[in-house]
Amino acid sequence: MKFTIYQESRIGQRKNNQDRLAYSYSRDALLMVVADGMGGHLHGEVAAHICVQFVTEAFQRDARPMLRDPSLFLSRVLTNAHNAILDYAFDKNLDEAPRTTVVACIVQDGFAYWAHAGDSRLYVVRQGQIAMHTRDHSRVQLMMDQGLLNAEEAAHHPGRNRVYSCLGGNHAPQVEFSKRLPLRDGDVLALCTDGVWGPLGDAALTAALSAPDIMQAVPALLDRAEGIAGPSCDNLSMIAMRWHDDATQPHADAISTRTMALDNFTTQLESFDTSRTPASRYDISDDDIEKAIAEINAAIHKFSK
Amino acid sequence: MPAQTNCPLPAGFQLDQYRIERQLSLGGFSIVYLAHDREGSPVAIKEYLPNSLALRKEGEFEPQVSDEHMPAFRYGMKCFFEEGRSLAKLMHPNVVQVLNFFRANGTVYMVMKFERGRTLHDYIQKHRGEVSERFIRIVFTRMLNGLREVHAHKLLHLDIKPSNIYLRNDGTPVLLDFGAARQTLMSDQPILKPMYTPGFASPEQFEHRDALGPWSDIYSVGASLHACITGNAPQRSDERVKDDTVVPLRRTHAAHYSAQLLDTIDWCLKLDPLARPQSVYSLQKSLIRRDEDGDAVHAGLFGDLGARLKSFIGRT
Repeated sequence: MKFTIYQESRIGQRKNNQDRLAYSYSRDALLMVVADGMGGHLHGEVAAHICVQFVTEAFQRDARPMLRDPSLFLSRVLTNAHNAILDYAFDKNLDEAPRTTVVACIVQDGFAYWAHAGDSRLYVVRQGQIAMHTRDHSRVQLMMDQGLLNAEEAAHHPGRNRVYSCLGGNHAPQVEFSKRLPLRDGDVLALCTDGVWGPLGDAALTAALSAPDIMQAVPALLDRAEGIAGPSCDNLSMIAMRWHDDATQPHADAISTRTMALDNFTTQLESFDTSRTPASRYDISDDDIEKAIAEINAAIHKFSK
Repeated sequence: MPAQTNCPLPAGFQLDQYRIERQLSLGGFSIVYLAHDREGSPVAIKEYLPNSLALRKEGEFEPQVSDEHMPAFRYGMKCFFEEGRSLAKLMHPNVVQVLNFFRANGTVYMVMKFERGRTLHDYIQKHRGEVSERFIRIVFTRMLNGLREVHAHKLLHLDIKPSNIYLRNDGTPVLLDFGAARQTLMSDQPILKPMYTPGFASPEQFEHRDALGPWSDIYSVGASLHACITGNAPQRSDERVKDDTVVPLRRTHAAHYSAQLLDTIDWCLKLDPLARPQSVYSLQKSLIRRDEDGDAVHAGLFGDLGARLKSFIGRT
């Protein structure tokens, strides 16, 4: 696989950043995930963090170096991430489980697969046009679908932040899955939180993501979103990935995974709180145990069929 | 450390999706149970429970592991995973099949297919001194098909002995219990002592562990063959290295067995690894051939073609 990838998250004018994002790739598969912890609820950033960490770890466990079924992986992992958030709330005796939106995308075999819950979006920009984007799970989107609002009114609607599907919370998420999309040379996949798409609108996003160099275009885009949003600027985060044919001479920052070892991963987890559990004094952690068991069961499954 | 005995899980205990029926065996590292899955099919479940590190008292489910022993307990678990990993990759009619692997009660469990039959050890005890040459050749040639598969995956069994060779009711052998010996491969945890059975382990298993290879398993096969004929394992190989009292079978049992078979067994039991058959294949060839009267074992056993074909079809 060859691609150029850039991710950045900014706090905006808020007191803390409740967005979390990560990408991870093996030789043959790429994961991108963005989660926006919901501020109206307690510990939104915790929900987002659990979600991103959980999805990334599952990817690293299963993509060796390919996922058997990317759609199934997304469906399983998002359900499990939801349950992990509920477990956390239960462990900590929280009255209400924290919530987060999520959009996650897998690229494998030249196809992209994605899934989302809430109003964090994925855009596919192809030849200067938005070829596809996710539809928000929000009240205003429903109203627009019913013709009750136009885009302009929706952008200023007081309930525009209300989403009806998310991970965590009291209701099971309604996760929406894409069909698989064959990628073409130069396609850009961009995952972002509402802090980015809200102030900018589709036209500005498309223009920026069509620029030849996303490594410069994305930071400039975030600057612009911050400028427009002004003092009410929300957290804003984006991962953008430009896909390259194996044959093209790509940008100098492009990553080629062709020479990666089969069991190797490169991961960028944008995290604002690095205090993870201290290195266990045991040779093998609970996590290692889970990984080993998953690996053995995968082998059993694979070889007994 | 005083020897402690771990209590098995009680009959009727619901372990994950399985219901325990009874204990099948108890080893230093594990307990094996007979259990039934949701559909009522029998399975064998191996529970990781090293005697020296974890104690399950009467009436309790979760074994107690002291803080002091926790690192070693976790380390041993890693070895248990090794066994699971090895077996999961093998799909062969003469190798025990792993069905599931899970975590419960603070430890880990490996679910295997339950086979009806008895061990070669039991068979030898019952037919002491009268195990027929034909039986030996057929059982070992087939068992070696399984071992060949093990070696083809760059694994060593390292604990081949009659009690780890299981005879199904239809007479076909299954190789059991991988990993008991693997634990010894990593020797920086002194509490987890080597678990091989002395009479069946090759000399390099005691001394020069970097010299381990297929020939080490072949020594154990030779010792198992020896047990079929004499009823016992040969003298321990670590003692043989100092003072070898093993008399070649050719001299003692020529009355009842062909010289070619006895020579083959003596060949496997050479102390020098390089003097033994170097591959399972060459040993199989020797077990199939019977020079004097040309009564060769049916060649079809060699590849278990039918079974292979079946597993091939099943896989596609």
